[in-house]
Amino acid sequence: MPLTARGEAIFERIPNSAPRESTGSIGCEIVRHEELCIGCARCASVCPTGATETSGTFDPMQLFAAPPDSRRGALGEALRKIARHQPSGPIEVPGRVSSFRSIVYEAEKCIGCGACARICPTGAVEAIPVSAAEIASSRGGEAA
Amino acid sequence: MSEALVEEQAQAAETEDAERKIIGFFCRECAYAAADATGNARISLPPTIRSVLVPCTGRVSPLHLLKALADGADGVYLAGCLVGQCHYREGNLHAIDRVEFARALLQSVGVEPERVQMFTMSAADSPKFVAAARKMHETISNLPPLKRK
Ligand code: SF4
Ligand code: SF4
Repeated sequence: MPLTARGEAIFERIPNSAPRESTGSIGCEIVRHEELCIGCARCASVCPTGATETSGTFDPMQLFAAPPDSRRGALGEALRKIARHQPSGPIEVPGRVSSFRSIVYEAEKCIGCGACARICPTGAVEAIPVSAAEIASSRGGEAA
Repeated sequence: MSEALVEEQAQAAETEDAERKIIGFFCRECAYAAADATGNARISLPPTIRSVLVPCTGRVSPLHLLKALADGADGVYLAGCLVGQCHYREGNLHAIDRVEFARALLQSVGVEPERVQMFTMSAADSPKFVAAARKMHETISNLPPLKRK
């Protein structure tokens, strides 16, 4: 499993560095499942690095992918009934519409703290722990 | 007012027959008072208009707007208080943005955004209420019936 970009940068600075076994795991890999996202923006509000942020646009395709019993799913069902073609791409979201915004995640900025995954109410953010042994082996060494 | 009740009223209104159907969500504080005055003056609204009373236009979500279209309406509009005069402070401002959002959604899938509109008026402004209904009627009459899958 890859180390996060930030973790990689830290290890770059230390010669022959390898993570210590006692930490168990170092950071997490973040995998987002946009179809489950309800746009509550809690992930963005807790993210310490700005890797996860609320955007000013929304991709209507997210409505079609949402679970049918959800609010977004219901809106998607209504939209699909009257749609003449597939959505033509992301749309601008007016200022007071808060829950229909796409969340943008930039892996480059992420330190893998997992705060976003802990606070997400729908399981849309998955934090996969990266084990020390895996990182060590990916760097050609052994965990000390 | 519960969401189910709002939808039920919208659906009940949709089942009556007429050529085109337009659902108007009217705020109880301004638009409904204006509608009352219109009725008292015996001015009739276009036959396409079906009204749904809401406590505030801020209660109406993009889902209400699109569901009305998906379930039979050719157009849907909101009539609420003048900007700055909302009885719940900012409900109409939320409504204005939600209408804009619903229009952007429609546009992205190739449906005329004019099918969703928002009007504001004071409780005493019955002529503006009538003008809004007529404008909506005219807009929708000039568009083809909305096709559904
Ligand atoms: S893991 Fe931490 S840094 Fe990365 S996106 Fe989530 S909250 Fe932000
Ligand atoms: S916390 Fe979860 S549901 Fe809320 S915006 Fe973030 S990903 Fe979406």
